[in-house]
Amino acid sequence: MNDAVRLQLEDFSQDEEVCALRAGSMRMGGIATFLGCARDFSEGREVCEIGFDAYRPMALAELQKLRTEAIERFGLIEARIVHRLGTVRAGDNIVFIATGAEHRAPALEACRWLIDELKERVPIWKKEITPSGEAWVTPHP
Amino acid sequence: MITVLFFGPVADRVGERQIDVPFREGMCWQDVRDELTPRYPEAFALVSIAAVNGERVRDDVRTPLADGAEIVFMSRFSGG
Repeated sequence: MNDAVRLQLEDFSQDEEVCALRAGSMRMGGIATFLGCARDFSEGREVCEIGFDAYRPMALAELQKLRTEAIERFGLIEARIVHRLGTVRAGDNIVFIATGAEHRAPALEACRWLIDELKERVPIWKKEITPSGEAWVTPHP
Repeated sequence: MITVLFFGPVADRVGERQIDVPFREGMCWQDVRDELTPRYPEAFALVSIAAVNGERVRDDVRTPLADGAEIVFMSRFSGG
C-alpha cells in the first residue's frame, strides 16, 4: 500500500485511499474526506491547466508533521494526505485528505483543519494557465 | 558555499532556481537575504517566508549558518 502522505505527479483513487485508511482498524465510526479539484474558471478567466511547484523535501516533511499533529490533536485513528504536483488539467484532482475517527465530529474537524493548515504551512505554489497567459495564484482564504 | 533555492513566483522573478553565495564565518540567513535583495528587488518583494535546511526560520532569530547550508526564500504558499 502507498504511504499515508504523498506528493505525486499521477492522479489518485479516492476509493483506494479510503480503503487504505480503513485497513488498519474497524473502530472507525466516522470518516471525513476533502477533495480539492482544478477549476476551469478563476478571477474572471478561463483556466485550462494548473501547474504546481514545490520545495519538495520540506513540503513532504510538513505534510507528515500535519498528519501527526492532526492524529494527536483530534484523536484520529488514521489520516491520509495526497497532493499532486506537475501540471493538472481543469477538472482534475489536486489534493485528497481523509481522516478517520471513532466519531464523526473529530473526523470532520480534522479534515477541515488539515486543508487549512496545508495551505498555510506546505511550500507548494500553483500557477493558473489560461488561453491568454499564466499567473501565479495569490493565496486567499 | 551557501546554496539558495527559489520556487514558484520567486523563481520566475529571479530567473533562476538556484544560486550559490560564498560562505563567510558567522553569516546568518538574514545576511544572505540582505545581500540578494538589491540584486533581485522584484523577487524579494514577494518573499515572506524563509527556510534553512528545510526548517522555517524566524526573522528575529539570528543563528550562524554552517558552510554548505541550504536557504530557500519563499512567497506565501498556494497549494491545495
